[in-house]
Amino acid sequence: MQLSRSQRLKGDEMRKNKIAPWPYLLIAPALITILTVVFFPVLNAIFMSFQSYDLRRPSQIHFTGLANYLSAVQDPLFWQALLKTVIWVGVGVGLQFVFGFMLALLLNRKFWGRGVVRSISLIPWVTPGVLIGLMWRWIYDGNYGVLNDVLTRLGLIKSNIPFLAQQSTAFPMVILTIVWQGIPFFALMLLAGLQGIPEELYDAANVDGANAFQRFFSITVPSLRNTIFVTTLLRIIWVANSVDVIFNLTEGGPAYATQTLSVYVFNKGNTLNLGYASTMAILLALSLAVVAVPYLKTLFKSQEESE
Amino acid sequence: MKRKLLFAFMAILGLAATIAVSAQPKPVTIVHWYWADNPGYSAQMQKIAADFNATNGKGITVVAQEYPWDGGAYSETLFRAVMGGGGPDTSSFKLTSTPLFTANNLLVNLDEYLAKWKDRDKINASLYDTMRKASRTKSVYVMPWNTQVLYVYYRPSLFKKAGVTVPKTYAEFLEACKKLTMDTNGDGKIDVYGFGMRGAKGGQEPWGSFIYARGGSFENMTSPEAIQGMQDFIDLYKNGYTPPTAPMDGFNEIIANFKSGKTAMTIHHIGSSIGMVDTFGADVDAFAFPGGVGRWTSMGDTENIMLKSSKNKDAAFEWLAYLATGKGQEDWCVATGNVPVSKDVQQLPFFQNNRFMKVSIEGAPYAGILPILDTTTEWISTIWPNTVAAALGGKLSAAEAMRQLQTGLWGK
Repeated sequence: MQLSRSQRLKGDEMRKNKIAPWPYLLIAPALITILTVVFFPVLNAIFMSFQSYDLRRPSQIHFTGLANYLSAVQDPLFWQALLKTVIWVGVGVGLQFVFGFMLALLLNRKFWGRGVVRSISLIPWVTPGVLIGLMWRWIYDGNYGVLNDVLTRLGLIKSNIPFLAQQSTAFPMVILTIVWQGIPFFALMLLAGLQGIPEELYDAANVDGANAFQRFFSITVPSLRNTIFVTTLLRIIWVANSVDVIFNLTEGGPAYATQTLSVYVFNKGNTLNLGYASTMAILLALSLAVVAVPYLKTLFKSQEESE
Repeated sequence: MKRKLLFAFMAILGLAATIAVSAQPKPVTIVHWYWADNPGYSAQMQKIAADFNATNGKGITVVAQEYPWDGGAYSETLFRAVMGGGGPDTSSFKLTSTPLFTANNLLVNLDEYLAKWKDRDKINASLYDTMRKASRTKSVYVMPWNTQVLYVYYRPSLFKKAGVTVPKTYAEFLEACKKLTMDTNGDGKIDVYGFGMRGAKGGQEPWGSFIYARGGSFENMTSPEAIQGMQDFIDLYKNGYTPPTAPMDGFNEIIANFKSGKTAMTIHHIGSSIGMVDTFGADVDAFAFPGGVGRWTSMGDTENIMLKSSKNKDAAFEWLAYLATGKGQEDWCVATGNVPVSKDVQQLPFFQNNRFMKVSIEGAPYAGILPILDTTTEWISTIWPNTVAAALGGKLSAAEAMRQLQTGLWGK
C-alpha cells in the first residue's frame, strides 16, 4: 500500500515533533548534580541573604528584606575589604600574567634541561593553598624566617622585619605569595598557545624585516589573544574567591590589613552569621559579574570578528 | 525416660546459654573528639581511650579522633559537623561555646545522669555552678574535666643576668619587662625581649590581666582604668619590650620564642610546663600575675560534652565519667600537668609537689573567665586580635580600641 504525499509529510512532521528521550536521559546525571551542588546552594545563599540568619541566635532567624545589604553598604570593613580585593586581584593577577608570560616565552625556547625546568616551574601551581600559606608564613617569619636571614646576609637589612605583623608589609607579602602560586598557570596556558602559532608567520615577518618587538606585538600577542582573555578571566575569578592562602598566612590580619572580601565572608561565616556572610558573597559575585560580563562580551565579539 | 532427661538437660543448657548471651552487654562504639597541644598529649589520649576500652567491661569501644584546636576554631568545626548531621558522640569542649550549642539544642542535659552518678561529689560543687551559669539555665550540660590557670613563666637565669627579682606588684612586672629586654651578646641588637606578648587569637586572656591590674574590667572596657591597662599593653610593644612580631604571635609563636630564649617571660598555663621543663630543666619557673589596683587571671577550662545526636548515651556518659573522675582523669592530668577537677586526683603527690601546680593554685582565687555571651566567639576570633593589632600598630588609640572592643562584646 502506498502512502499519499500528504500522509508522508504528516509522518515526517510527527517524527520531528516526537521528543527523543535519550539526550535528556544522558545529560540528566550531570544536570541533577549541577542543580544539587551549585544551583541549590546559590539559591540558598540568596535566600539567606534576605534573612537575619545567625546560628548564634537560632530563635531570632527571620526575614529582614534588604537589611543585610544596607548593613554591608554601611560597613566600613566591607568597603575596605572590597578595595583590598581590587588590589589583590589587580596586582596579583597582573603580576602573575607578566611573569607567567615571561616564563612561557623562556620555556618556549629550546635549551638543555628544558623538560626539567618545565616540570619544576609547575611546583607552585600543584602545591595546595593551605600548604603554601603555612610554608610562606614561616619564610616570612619575623624571628626565624629564611627571608629575613637572606636579607640580613646580603646586608640589605640590619634587623629583622616582621613582615606579616606589620600592617604596611603584610598585604604586599600575601600578594607576593599569590603571584608565586599563579605564575605557572599563566606560563602553562600561554606556552600551549605559543606552540600553536605557525612558525611561518615569524619567517614571513623576518623576511619583511620585522624586529623582535614588532614580531611580539604583531604576531605573538594577537595570536594569543583568546588564550590571554580566558586565562585572565579564570584567574581573576579564582584569585578573587581564594581564601586558603590569605587565611593560612594571616587570617585577614593584622588589623584587617589582608582581609579581602572572600576572607571577610569566610570569617563572618565562621562566626556563624550566615545571613550577613551570604549577603557579602552575593555582592562579591555581582562585583565579579561586573568584570566578567563585559570581558566575555569583548571576547565573543572578537571571536565573531575573526570568523 | 533417659531420652526425656536428656531433652530436659539440653533445654536447660540452651536456656542458660541464651540468658548468658543476652546478659552480655551489647557492643557499642563511641566516637570522641578532642584536641591536643602536642604529639605527646595526642598519644596520651589514645592510650586513655585504649585503657578504657580494655577495662570498662561493658562492651564500650571509644574511638578518639583528634582535631586541631586552631586558636579556638575547633569549637566551630565541631558545631558545623554536628549541625550538618555528623560529628561525634562526645567531645572536648570550652565553656564559652555553651550558649551556641545549647541555643541550637545540641547538648544532652546531664542532670539526670549526674543525679544517679556515684562520683558526683568528687567534683567541687562550685564547678557545676559555673557550668550552669555558662548554659544560662539551671541545668548542667558539660562535664568538668580539667582547668588551667594562666600565670607567668620566666627564666631565672635571665632574671639574674638582668638583676631582676620576681615581681610582686604590677608596676614591678612592667619594670621587669623593660629590664629583661637585653642585648646579651653586645652586637647592638636586642636578642632577649622582656615579655612574649600574644597578639593573635587567644591573646585576650593574658591581656585581661593588664586591664584588671589597672582597675578595669571586661564589663566596662571604656573606663579610664581599663584604657590605662590597654595603654600599658601598647607601650610594652611600642617601647620594644616584646618581639616585633607580637601582633601576629599566637600560642605556637609565644612558646617557640620562650623556648628559644627570645623572650624572658610569657604567659600560659600549666599545660606547657612539661615541655618547658624538658627544654630548660631547672631554668624555668613561674609566678602568678601580680596585682595592681585589681587582679585577674584567666581560668582556662576544658570540659567534655555529650551530643544529643549520640545513639549510645549511657555508654557515652560512662566514658565522660571515666575522664572526669576515673583513671582517665589522673592519666590525662599527670601527662599534661592540667589541674584536675577530681578531688581525689588533686590529692596525689604528683600534684601536691608540683611547683607549677602551686602557682596555679595561688592564682585560682582571682582567676575568672570572659563573659560568656553569644558575641564572645566572634569577639575572641576576629574582633579582639584585629582591634589590638590596630592599636599596637598605632592605627587606633587605646581609648578608641577599647571602645571598639566594648561594642564588639556588649553591643554598646
